Amino acid sequence: MQTEQELRPTAARTSASDGRRASVRRALRSLRSWCDLLLALTESDLRFRYGRGPWRFIRWLFEPVALVGVYLVLVSFVLDRPGRAVGLSLTCAVVPFQLVMLTIGNAMSALDLRRPIILNMAFKRMLMPISSALTESTGFGASLFLIVAMMAIYRIAPTWNVLWFPLVFLVNLLLAIAAAYAGILLGIWLRELRAFVVSFIRILFFLGPGLVPLAQTSADVQTLLRLNPMTGLFEAYRDVFLYGDRPAAWELLIPLAATALLLLIFVPIYRSEQRQFAKVI
Amino acid sequence: MVAADGVGVRFFFNRHLRVVTSGEARLRGRGTVTWGLRDVSFSIGRGEGTALIGRSGSGKTTLLRVLAGVFAPDQGRVELDGRVASVLSVDAGLLALLTGRENAVLLGVIAGLSRQEAIRSLENVKARSGLDEAFERPVLTYSQGMKARLGFAVAEETNPEILLLDEVHEALDHEFRDFLHQRAMEILDSGGVVIAAGHDHPMLARLCTRALWLEDGQVREEGRFESVQPHYLEAVHVHD
Repeated sequence: MQTEQELRPTAARTSASDGRRASVRRALRSLRSWCDLLLALTESDLRFRYGRGPWRFIRWLFEPVALVGVYLVLVSFVLDRPGRAVGLSLTCAVVPFQLVMLTIGNAMSALDLRRPIILNMAFKRMLMPISSALTESTGFGASLFLIVAMMAIYRIAPTWNVLWFPLVFLVNLLLAIAAAYAGILLGIWLRELRAFVVSFIRILFFLGPGLVPLAQTSADVQTLLRLNPMTGLFEAYRDVFLYGDRPAAWELLIPLAATALLLLIFVPIYRSEQRQFAKVI
Repeated sequence: MVAADGVGVRFFFNRHLRVVTSGEARLRGRGTVTWGLRDVSFSIGRGEGTALIGRSGSGKTTLLRVLAGVFAPDQGRVELDGRVASVLSVDAGLLALLTGRENAVLLGVIAGLSRQEAIRSLENVKARSGLDEAFERPVLTYSQGMKARLGFAVAEETNPEILLLDEVHEALDHEFRDFLHQRAMEILDSGGVVIAAGHDHPMLARLCTRALWLEDGQVREEGRFESVQPHYLEAVHVHD
C-alpha cells in the first residue's frame, strides 16, 4: 500500500497532465471555432463576389482569362515582344499578382461589406483579412485551369518540378494575407483614396518582370526588380510551369521576407485598430 | 451577472467631423475627441430586466454595444457572466444580399455555434422566425419586422442568458412582440438578464423592473423603473 507521501507526487503529476489535456482540448475547440468562422465569412464573401445566378460559374471561370487576355493582346500584338510561350509567361505573372491585388481590393471593402455584423455582434475580427485572401484564392482555382490550358496551347509538358507549386502557392497566399491586414487598414484610413491605393499597388506589376521574364530585362535593373516581392513569385511560377525548373531560393525568400515585414508592421496596428472598427463604419 | 465599472468610450473625429480610429487620428494630427460614455458604473443581478432610457444620442446604443463586445471600452471594464445574444439594430446583423438561410448559418457561427450546429438549427430558425418561403429569399426583400424576427430567431439558437435589445421590439408586429416578450421573460425567470433600450416605455415597463437613465454618456439615475422613468419624462418635458 502506498503512503501519503508516495501518493502526493502521483496526484500532482495526474493533475498537471489533466491540466495539459484540458488546455489542449480548449485550444482545439478554439481552432475549430475559428475554422468554422473563417469558412462562414468566406462563404458569404463568395456570394457577394460571384452572385447567385447561373452566370456565377462562368464568371468564376472566365475572369482570369479576361485579365490575362488584356495583357496578352498588349504583349503579343501591340508590343510584338519576342519570347518563349508569351501567353504562359504572362499568365505566370498575372495569376500570382491578381491573388495579391484582388485580396487587397477585397480587404479594403471588407468592413463595408460586413457592416451589419460588425455593428451588431462581437467576433474574431483578426480573421477578416484571412477570409479576404481565402475568397480570392477560390477565384485562383480557375486561374489554374488557365495555366494548364496555356501549357497545352504552347505544348509545354510538366516536369516533376511542378510538385514545387504547392509551396510557391503557399508563399503567394501568405503574402496576400499579410497584404490584406494592410489593405483593411488603408481602406479605413484612406477611404477617399482607395482607387489611388489600388493603382499604386498595380505599379508593383509593372515594376517587376510582369510583361517579360526577368532574363529579358536589362542587367542594370535586375537587382532592383528582385527587391519587388512580386518578382520572386512571377519567376517562381515561370520556373515551375514554363521552364520546368525548381524555383530559386531567392524567389521564395524575398516574398517571405516581405510577408514577415508586412505582418510585423500591420498586425499589431490592426489588433489595436480592430477594436474601433464598429465606430468608424 | 452584468457589471460595468467606470466604463468610458471615446470617439475621435477628424476635422471634417467624420469618426476615425485612434490610429488615423494620430496619423492625421488634427481633430477632436468626444466621450460617448464616461465613467458608467452599474451592476445587474440574475433575473433582472433593465431598461436603458434617455434621449437619442445619450449613449444607450453605445452602452449596449460595449456590453455586446462590439465596442471595446477605452476606460474601465465590463464583466458579463453568461452567453450573450444581441439584436442591436433592426438589421440584426443581417447581410442584405444573402438569403435568410445563408444569414442564419453565418450569424449562428458568429454567435458561437459550430457550423454543423448552425446548419442543424436552420429548420428551428425558419419556424421560429415565421418567415416560411421568404427564408430562401435575399434579406434585401425583407421588411424591418422580418429582419428583426430572423435576427432574434438566430440569437435564440444560442440559448442566451444575457439578451441585449436595442429598439428592436419597436420595429416588430404585435404577434412577434408578444413572442419576444414571452421569451425575454423566460430568460429572466431562468435567472438570466435582459437589457433593452428604446423609447417605447410601456413595452420596456413590461420587461424591465429596473432602469438606467443615461444623459450625455453618463448615468443620471439608476433604480426601479417606475421611479426613474417619471423623473426622466419630467426632465424631458421641462427641457422641451
